[in-house]
Order: sequence, then C-alpha cells, then structure tokens
Amino acid sequence: MDIQEKLQLLTEAAKYDVACTSSGVDRKGTRGTIGSASACGICHSFTADGRCVSLLKLLLTNACIYDCQYCANRRSNDVPRTAFTPREVAELTMQFYRRNYIEGLFLSSAVVKTPDYTMELLIEALRYIREEYHFGGYIHVKAIPGADPALIWRLGHLADRMSTNIELPSETSLLSLAPEKTKPAILTPMRFVQKQMQQSKQELIRYKNATPFVPAGQSTQLIVGATPESDSQIVHLAQGLYKGYTMKRVFYSAYIPTNAKLPMVDTPLLREHRLYQADWLLRFYGFTAQELFKSKDENLTLHIDPKCHWALNNLDHFPVEVNRADYLMLLRVPGIGQKSASRIIAARRIGNLDFPQLKKMGVVLKRAKLFITCNGKMMEKLPWDPSVLEMRLSENYVGGAYTQPSLFDIAPAAIPMKQFAGKQLLLEAASDTTPFLTNIDDSPLPVLPPIEDAS
Amino acid sequence: MPAPDNTKASKAKREVAILFDGSLEGFLCILHAYYYENVSPLIIQTEDNYQPTLDTEEYHILSCSTIATRVQGGIIKKISPQAWHTLSSAYLAAYVEDKYIAMFRYLLLGFRVGAIVDDHLYEDCVLRVHKFARQVGRETHLLTGFCRFEETTNNIYYCPIEPTNYVLPRLAEHFSDRMMNQAWIIHDKKHGKAAVYNGETYVIADVPKDAQVQHTDSEAQIQDLWITFFNSVAIKERVKPKLQRQLLPLYFRKSMTEFQKKPTTRKTLKRKSLISLEQKDLPT
Ligand code: SF4
Repeated sequence: MDIQEKLQLLTEAAKYDVACTSSGVDRKGTRGTIGSASACGICHSFTADGRCVSLLKLLLTNACIYDCQYCANRRSNDVPRTAFTPREVAELTMQFYRRNYIEGLFLSSAVVKTPDYTMELLIEALRYIREEYHFGGYIHVKAIPGADPALIWRLGHLADRMSTNIELPSETSLLSLAPEKTKPAILTPMRFVQKQMQQSKQELIRYKNATPFVPAGQSTQLIVGATPESDSQIVHLAQGLYKGYTMKRVFYSAYIPTNAKLPMVDTPLLREHRLYQADWLLRFYGFTAQELFKSKDENLTLHIDPKCHWALNNLDHFPVEVNRADYLMLLRVPGIGQKSASRIIAARRIGNLDFPQLKKMGVVLKRAKLFITCNGKMMEKLPWDPSVLEMRLSENYVGGAYTQPSLFDIAPAAIPMKQFAGKQLLLEAASDTTPFLTNIDDSPLPVLPPIEDAS
Repeated sequence: MPAPDNTKASKAKREVAILFDGSLEGFLCILHAYYYENVSPLIIQTEDNYQPTLDTEEYHILSCSTIATRVQGGIIKKISPQAWHTLSSAYLAAYVEDKYIAMFRYLLLGFRVGAIVDDHLYEDCVLRVHKFARQVGRETHLLTGFCRFEETTNNIYYCPIEPTNYVLPRLAEHFSDRMMNQAWIIHDKKHGKAAVYNGETYVIADVPKDAQVQHTDSEAQIQDLWITFFNSVAIKERVKPKLQRQLLPLYFRKSMTEFQKKPTTRKTLKRKSLISLEQKDLPT
C-alpha cells in the first residue's frame, strides 16, 4: 500500500475524533528548532463539513484487537487494514508543518497486538519528531487504555496534551458495548496523568530545564446518543471530570452509525451542540450542573439554549441592572457573553450606560434586552411572563410569529427507548445508568471531592 | 511629550489639510505639528492621494524619526502601551477616507484622558480605531493559519499572500518565531512587498508583484498528500458548504493549496479482512 492510500485510510479512521484543538499552551520558538504553539489556537483550513483543520489527525494503525461495537475499526468489521511506520508519521508531520498546513499532530491509534506495544510505537513516532526533527509545535496524543504507566510517563513528556477517551457515559454502557475496556483501565491513566502534571509543575518551578509533562493538560471524549444516558447525566459527568480530574476539555461526539453494529439512529447534531453550550457554561460562566438540571433524567431543551433555559426558570434573578450588576451576573444574562460583559464593565467606569450606547459598543440586544434594565428602564414594554419570554427567545422566532420547525417535531430530545427494542444489551444498559464517576469508592481510585456550588 | 493643549492655543489654530508621506513616522509627526505649529487638520491625507482644492490651505509634514520616537514614547507613557499597540495595528489597516483623521482624534482624546481612552466605547474615533485594529488583528490571525509555503529549488520556502490590509510585518514576526530553522519569503503580491528570512533575521523589501519561483520535484507530491488528507478528514454525512464558506471566505482560498489543486483521483480501496493483513504492513 503506498503512502497516499495509507493516509486516506488512516485519516478516515481518525476523522470522527473531535478533540482537534491546538490551544492551551503558548510556546515561543527556539533557535535551531522549528515550531511554536499559540494559546489561542490557529485554524489552518476548514473542511467541507465546516470543521476547523488544525492538527494532522491520524491513526497510527486501524488494525485493532478489540471489538468496540460503536467503532469502525473493531476487529469483527471487514475493512482494509493498514499501519504507518513511526518514521512515516514523523515525516508527514514535518513536511506539512514546514508548509504551514497544520498546527501540529494529533496521533491516535487502534490497539495493535497489545496496549503496551501500541504505546511503544506512539512513543517512537513522537521521539523522531521531537528529537530528530527538533519540532517544537503542538502534539496531542492518545493514551491507550490499560498501558503500563511507565510508557504513559514517557509519552507524556513528548506531548503537549494527552487524552484517554471515556467513550461512553456510564459503566454499564461501557461493559455492554466495549467489554474489553474497563472503567479502571480508563480512569487509572487519567488519574496518573493528573498526578504527573501536578508533580511536573512543581519540578518546573525548581528546575528550569525539566521537561514539562503534558503542559496543555488532558482531555477526553465521549460518544453521545449510542447509549441512553440523559444530558443531565452527561453534564454531571463532565463536571466531575473538570473538578475531580482537572480535565482541560471534555468533548462530545454525536454518534454517527457508520459501519458499526449499533442501531441506525443518527443523534441530532443539535443535541451535541446544546451539550457543548452547557459545557461552556460550566467552564467559563460559573454555572454548575445542578443549576442546569432539575432532575437526573432531564435533557437539555432543543429549541432554546441552556442559558436561556436557566434564565426562564430563574426569573427572580432578573431583570439585571446593567449599570450595577457584577461581572458574574452579567454573564448570566442570555445574549451577553464574556466580551460584552467586560466591555460593559469597562465602559460604565466612564458613565452610566443606556441602550443606544450598549448597541454602539457591540452588545447584541436581541435576547439581552428582555432581561436587562438601563437606569431602571427596560428597552421594551413586555409582559413579565415566562411563556412570552420563551417565545421571544426561541431561535425560530421570526418577525413576531413563532414558527414550529419541522425538525423539532422529528428530532427526539433523547433517543426513545423503543428504537432500541430488540437490542437486549442496550435495554439492560438503560435500566442501570449509574454515572461513570460515582460508585468508585471500592475501586483503588480516590473519591471525587464534593462539588461545591459556584453561585 | 506634548502636554494637553490649553483652550487659548487651540482657538488660534489654523485649519489646514495635512499631507504626509504615508509612513507611521510621518503620521506621528502630525501630532507634533498640532501641538507646536498650531495647525489643526480638517483632513489628513497622504501626499500622493491628495486632490488639491482651492479653498483649503495645505500643510506638508516632514517625516522626522526623532520627533516620531518622542511622540511614540509620549503615547506609551501618557496613554498606555495598549493604545500604542492599537494605533500601530490600525495604521496597517487598508485605507479608508477617515482612517488617519480617526487615528489622530483617538490620540488627541488619549492625551486628554489617558489610559481610559480605550473605555470610551461610544466615541466615534475610538470605535473606528478599534475597528481598524481589529480588522488587522483578524486578518493577521486568519493568515497565520491560511497562508501556505511551497518548497523552492534554492531551499527557500515561498509563501504568496494577497491581504486586504498590510499585515506583512505582523506575519513576518509570527513566522520568524515559528519557522525558525528554515529560510522563507512571504510575498505580499497586493502591496508589492516581501519579508525575506534567512534563518536568523528578516527584512522587508519592495518586490515586484509578479516574481516567479521554481518548485522542487517533491513539492507536488507533498501537496497531493495534503489534499488527500484534507478531503479524507471531512465527514461526508455532514457536508455544510455554507458554514465552510462563512468560516473560510472564498477570498482566502485562492492561495490555499487544497482549494486550488484538483483533488487526487481517489482509488477505491478493496475491502480485505483482517486475516489478510500482511505482517509487512505492520510496523516493526
Ligand atoms: S479500541 Fe475500540 S474504539 Fe479503539 S480502535 Fe479499537 S475498536 Fe475502535
């Protein structure tokens, strides 16, 4: 197989991985080397599906010994198999980087022979890139579940970010769909990486020349929609990962039933989008998962975003006076983001703000105007009624009339259970959807600290 | 540097059309003229763009680097380093009629109120200057990702660009840090300039817009590999050309390999079961 064919196969096998950002670490170039990293992240192109191309996203090989039901590389699937040599990966990365096609490398792999053997191949590829080609750019690498910690340790010193995918949002789902992967095999490396990162930070304070361990932090990914967990469970899980495992990012991937054994339900992308919005609220807006959901099996509403939804359920916090509210409260106003909030804080030092001024400053008032006052006055007279507000907030509100789009009639908030009928496996999974991070007291892992309320 | 003017002096100022050479130095000298030569600009224009009218007096600025350095120091000290950064970015923005006058008013306000000038977000001149600076920052940021280098026979990586704003100095700064151990040229075909880096430092020089380069033999191969990657990484079930166009305007695509070259003919790979995976296909 020539390199073109290999590249095509192993890219297509890697393309569903969503964790493709290069942000999180700022590193200047150094003499005699090539490459730098930019904390804000740089997109080098956009693919036909509208996703940013930042990293050269590859699988080292797709010849897997495991049989995860949701994955096209599973051993029982009849697809062509191939593998790059570590040298080929290094060469491709450098040739692409020199031409400014990419920001760095995202290297993942199926499990070939054993987890340890796979890890050794990954280490070899990264060692060429860093030590022979003196590459100082960004590298994100996957840790293989079940690998020897010594190998994770070595790999982590060559990469900027490492991720171990949690894959499915509950242990039962994992057991039924990816029986060769166990919760400890996933969580142990995560905990290990977390500890090593803390240690490495201390070492870096003491010895300037110590090699940093995973300086851009670790991330994980889970598949949404292949199993019946609710959004509430998923967002709570994400919160646990952010707080308990100092995870940098949790990525959600709407399940695409390509060439896998699972039933053919396409998870609405809108659900994935809402999950990212909720995730954003957790990370940057000071929300907690508890605030976003009232019950365990609740899902995010599809017709309005999670922030609007929260605002409508907490109308007693509104309207907010723009000239007095603190930064965190401004952030909670639908339609006001971080940029607008800090602009408001800056501009009101000069004088009281009114609506025209807000508009001039670039604050988008379409939704915000329903929840704020300027000097005690609302922009429009509207009945203070959740249902009226909800109608106005709905993203399909056009020119005075709320049009019920057909998409929402057909897109289920979560996959209805009957679609899984016949799949005994999944029904069992559904009956016990214990969140991933709970009930781990008897495992050798430390218990998560209680989640404190940020509000 | 110039103290804020008192009202008496400003009353006596002559209103003129200020003409300068278009350089940032020249622009800074306008401030000096305003405070010490008692002229106030009705319009500010570059010498070669100006259409003389009968009823306005012309005032020609002589660029002087000593004065410019003093004004720059004054901006950093009396206003803020941030304001200097904003202003020098705005200067790189593509020309529009009110560009220089807005920059000028921004500085006047800055000298009057100090660092909080950037909080005056409802003053037109502040908004305009911020907008120019953002426009430059945005195009720079996009091009740091979207521009493409090509390997040439004399071992120099060549990168043609055609930016709206004059972002070359900012790009050169970025790539002199990133592509440190390779020689490169970034050629701004629109403004007829090029940044030339020899592995240690770069200079910006005038270069004709139609300079030609000779590619290495392997260049086409690598470009093909890149196109293969680019096409394979897209999820075909979710193609969204509209979104793609929004994120990556057609305007940028003319210098991007993956949009300019025809995709390589994709071989249809035959399925073969895992058993037939030959030992030689596996890494050793
Ligand atoms: S381990 Fe599972 S998810 Fe990973 S490549 Fe193999 S089959 Fe796919």
